[in-house]
Amino acid sequence: MEELDLLKKDWKKNENSFKQISENEIYKMIHQNSSSVVKWILIIGIIEFALMTTLGFFTADDNYFVMLKKYHIDTFMSILTILNYVVVISFIFLFYRNFKTISTTDSARKLMKNILKTRKTVQFYVWYNLGMFAMIFFVVLLSTCYYDERMSTMLHDIGEKDNAIWIWTVIIGLTLGMFAAMFAIFWLFYRLVYGFLLRKLHKNYQELKKIDL
Amino acid sequence: MSQDLEQSFVKQLKDNQNIIHKICRLYTSGEDAHKDLFQEITIQLWKAYPKFRGDSKFTTWAYRVALNTAITLYRKSTRSISTTEFDNSKHFIKQEDYNFEEEEQIKLMYKAVYQLNDIEKALVFMYLEDKDYEEISETLGISEVNARVKMNRIKGKLKKILNP
Repeated sequence: MEELDLLKKDWKKNENSFKQISENEIYKMIHQNSSSVVKWILIIGIIEFALMTTLGFFTADDNYFVMLKKYHIDTFMSILTILNYVVVISFIFLFYRNFKTISTTDSARKLMKNILKTRKTVQFYVWYNLGMFAMIFFVVLLSTCYYDERMSTMLHDIGEKDNAIWIWTVIIGLTLGMFAAMFAIFWLFYRLVYGFLLRKLHKNYQELKKIDL
Repeated sequence: MSQDLEQSFVKQLKDNQNIIHKICRLYTSGEDAHKDLFQEITIQLWKAYPKFRGDSKFTTWAYRVALNTAITLYRKSTRSISTTEFDNSKHFIKQEDYNFEEEEQIKLMYKAVYQLNDIEKALVFMYLEDKDYEEISETLGISEVNARVKMNRIKGKLKKILNP
């Protein structure tokens, strides 16, 4: 193509005309902090791990176990806690392993793929924890309604009132509202990461995939 | 030891810095953005340097890391605003043999290239650098055939931008 070759001629003609950076400046540069997406993904990932891990583990004092026993969910919760430990360790391992595979000397496509994969590991961990939290919440709620005397008396009282339906609506509404708020916070996190940090990367990755279709 | 490494890196980079300048030129507009991307590429090269064994040429290795930084790692948008006209006078020494018509056409070509997306620019960059399709396909991670097909499409696209 004539035009592109004309450009090439000009490109070559001018390739030595850039203002040169001195050794001193290069020394300074390599001691600066990187602002690459990989660094941000690592930082955000660690924050999310920390947040989620504190959310996942309940404060396990004596009272808590007495309460679990009373509600007949002590075995269930113990199994869940052990399972949670296993999952946390596996996720940290996976995250670390994926993070280590990110290499700038790979092809662009492989590099992008590995970054997205690392990010997805964290995302899965977040969804796992949110799901777990919701499940535990409902199990505790149901067992409380079943086994707690005060709770069952209260439920019984509500049942006898004329406006029972309204009281139930408020209770369920509040519970759902709380969950919606929590999911919204994590959705925002998600948007932040994908919208702000990875939008360009994602777009370029799709473009490469499209070429190779 | 690490000081030796630093010294040899800085020297090699200084001698080969035009590679990075050329990528910055294609992916940014304006002096600040150019410098910013240059710095990020330098940091990424330095981070990858301990694993550089010298079994490939420094330039080949640097091309890849630099391009990867521009299209993958660099957070700020590397797409320049298409209306920004490339200011030749800032970057280039005026040539003695000035051909007005040709110069105008080159200007238009640069403008058209700026309108391409990041991946298309990478292909154009490697084309301008006389890279063969094998290297293009390896750098981007696409097949050689598809790299050729895409390059032809880009040529078509540029033609369209130039002659609407």
